[in-house]
Amino acid sequence: MATSLEIRNLHVRTEEREILRGVDLAVRKGELHALMGPNGSGKSTLANTIMGHPGYEVTDGEILVDGENITELAPHERAKLGLFLAFQYPVAIPGVSVANFLRLAINAQREEPIKVKEFGQQLRHAVELLDVDQGFTSRHLNDGFSGGEKKRAEVLQMAMLRPQIAVLDETDSGLDIDALRTVAEGVAKLHAEQGLGALIITHYQRILDYVRPEFVHIMMDGRIVMNGGNELVERLEQEGYDRIREEVAARA
Amino acid sequence: MPEGAGAPSPPATPTPKPKPGSAVAAKLNAALAGRGAGGAPLAELRERASAVFHSLELPSWRRSGFWKTSFQDLDLDALAPIAREADDRLPEILAGARSAGVLVQRDASVVHVQLDSELAQRGVILCSLEQAAAEHTELFERYYLRRLPLDRHKLEAASAAFWTGGAFLYVPPGLHVEDPFQIVYEISAAGSAQYAHTLAIGDRASQFRLREYDVAGAGAEIATDALHAGQFELYLEDGARCRLAQLTDWGEGAVSDSSTSVVEVGRDAYCHWLPALLGGHLIRHHYELVVAGQGGDMAFRGVLFSQADEHLDVFAVDLHETGPSGGDVHWRGAVTGSSRASFEGLIQINPGAQQTHTYLQFHSMMLSDAAKLDAIPSVLVSADDVSASHGGTVGELDEMLIFYMQTRGLTRPQAVRVIVEGFFEPLIVQLDDPALEHQIRERIGAKLAAAADDIERYALAR
Repeated sequence: MATSLEIRNLHVRTEEREILRGVDLAVRKGELHALMGPNGSGKSTLANTIMGHPGYEVTDGEILVDGENITELAPHERAKLGLFLAFQYPVAIPGVSVANFLRLAINAQREEPIKVKEFGQQLRHAVELLDVDQGFTSRHLNDGFSGGEKKRAEVLQMAMLRPQIAVLDETDSGLDIDALRTVAEGVAKLHAEQGLGALIITHYQRILDYVRPEFVHIMMDGRIVMNGGNELVERLEQEGYDRIREEVAARA
Repeated sequence: MPEGAGAPSPPATPTPKPKPGSAVAAKLNAALAGRGAGGAPLAELRERASAVFHSLELPSWRRSGFWKTSFQDLDLDALAPIAREADDRLPEILAGARSAGVLVQRDASVVHVQLDSELAQRGVILCSLEQAAAEHTELFERYYLRRLPLDRHKLEAASAAFWTGGAFLYVPPGLHVEDPFQIVYEISAAGSAQYAHTLAIGDRASQFRLREYDVAGAGAEIATDALHAGQFELYLEDGARCRLAQLTDWGEGAVSDSSTSVVEVGRDAYCHWLPALLGGHLIRHHYELVVAGQGGDMAFRGVLFSQADEHLDVFAVDLHETGPSGGDVHWRGAVTGSSRASFEGLIQINPGAQQTHTYLQFHSMMLSDAAKLDAIPSVLVSADDVSASHGGTVGELDEMLIFYMQTRGLTRPQAVRVIVEGFFEPLIVQLDDPALEHQIRERIGAKLAAAADDIERYALAR
């Protein structure tokens, strides 16, 4: 299982244009990282590319899990290595309940199907963690869910599938403050309880009030332009992206 | 074997060959007034049906998109009813199922009948239709062919003329039966001509469940033609309620199936009717829902799934003779391989059927670029205080949804299965019977697995 995710000189393009232009980044199990950047800087592209979205082509560089290049692996094989992506826009699966989907996903990663009792215990634990009611898990996944419910369902899946390293793609977008706190505290608990490593992609600083990342990276125009600690978050809050853009330009 | 079955038309009485989609279709629509040929002794009805059989060519229906559903390649001379011995064993498809009663027809013979003895004492009748015609003649003649005509096409006529065995169910007034009655028609060999007929009656305020399975026998390899020409009639008297499921799965053998089913509901009666068409070389199913009494209501659900070179053709009419009444038709279909499927649905509201509310919808999912699927809804309304409308969607596999599930560890075929099962699930769950639901889900899963390469090719080509 993955104990480290390392991205080296990653170049990625879609049919239209090059989006990532040499990204370097490393996340180890147990570490919390924040990836911040303005709209269009390539954050979601990086998240989707890490999981192997077929719409993004890696033209150069590597994605390494424990030193092995995974760029040729199918998305489900990456999931089996312990990677996870919480989607910015989770899609609805009509006709499939949250609980049934979770059972399928858990069994997909095991030799023997999970026992009903064990599954039930895990599900109850996860449901408490995410502050949703039990009826939530018998609803069809994301079908008619509010924005907050969709994001809770993402973290619920993360809690059940127990990945080593998760990428959270703007999990905070579109949430009111209560939902944001629940989701963020859920992530923090998984970090504390399961040793989850996470790359938290966000546009704002709000979620970082609840999950304190040790490492902060700023992405602009398809590159990581600045690395630091929590102080970077505060600086961004005060100065905005423009000052950083100027500084990066001056450095170049 | 009935005289003349499978024989060529006598040359002495030439009749003009009906053009596909013209004469036949016209007759078919004329018959939608909803009256049948019944009310006469069986021998006379058989004779009339036999005359019609000999006067007609094998049917063909022109579908939209320049293809047709044709039985004209069927060589009736090569087919014959095959008699079978009685058999104590239950067919595989009923393994583990709870039943109030079971009737099994293998090829041309009823081979197994069992009925809960308490239900028999309370007046339930479950027996072969042959036996019902002989021993319950009054009941039989009152209902037999009440809603089915004899002369719409050659295979309906053949079924009415030559049926053997058959199934008869009568549920007396006020009786509620929880476990389902199960009727199985099995074709077990190539060359088999199965002329099948089910007649079921729910008397006033009765409540029951009824299943019909049209299946290939376990292990049967039907490499050359076999035919099922079936007729099914269910009459629900005032206040009766029935949940009816019909599972058609002839497997991958060369079975052709032309069947007509009619369900009539009386005053305040209700039927939840769900056919599932899950396999067959060539299937033409004609369904008629007749709401004949005020307050009658019917939910008509259906699933169809075709693979390889299968050909499924469904025609359904939702007929309202009086109002207030309700109808709700909701079918879903998926096609793979180079299969063809067509769903034609007609809402017909007769003069005077005021305050009828009905809706017809068909949703489809394309899983192959070589497959074809048509949905043809139409509405004929002759009353002014009604609501009748139709809708539908055509869907394809959503790549974003597949990627989403893959990131959770599901393989691509697993993700496709989840999507397709989820597509059918809102209907399947309405069967309200875990064992049967499981059976249908597994069958859909198996068909998907068989078509996996094809589905993948289609996805990559898009």
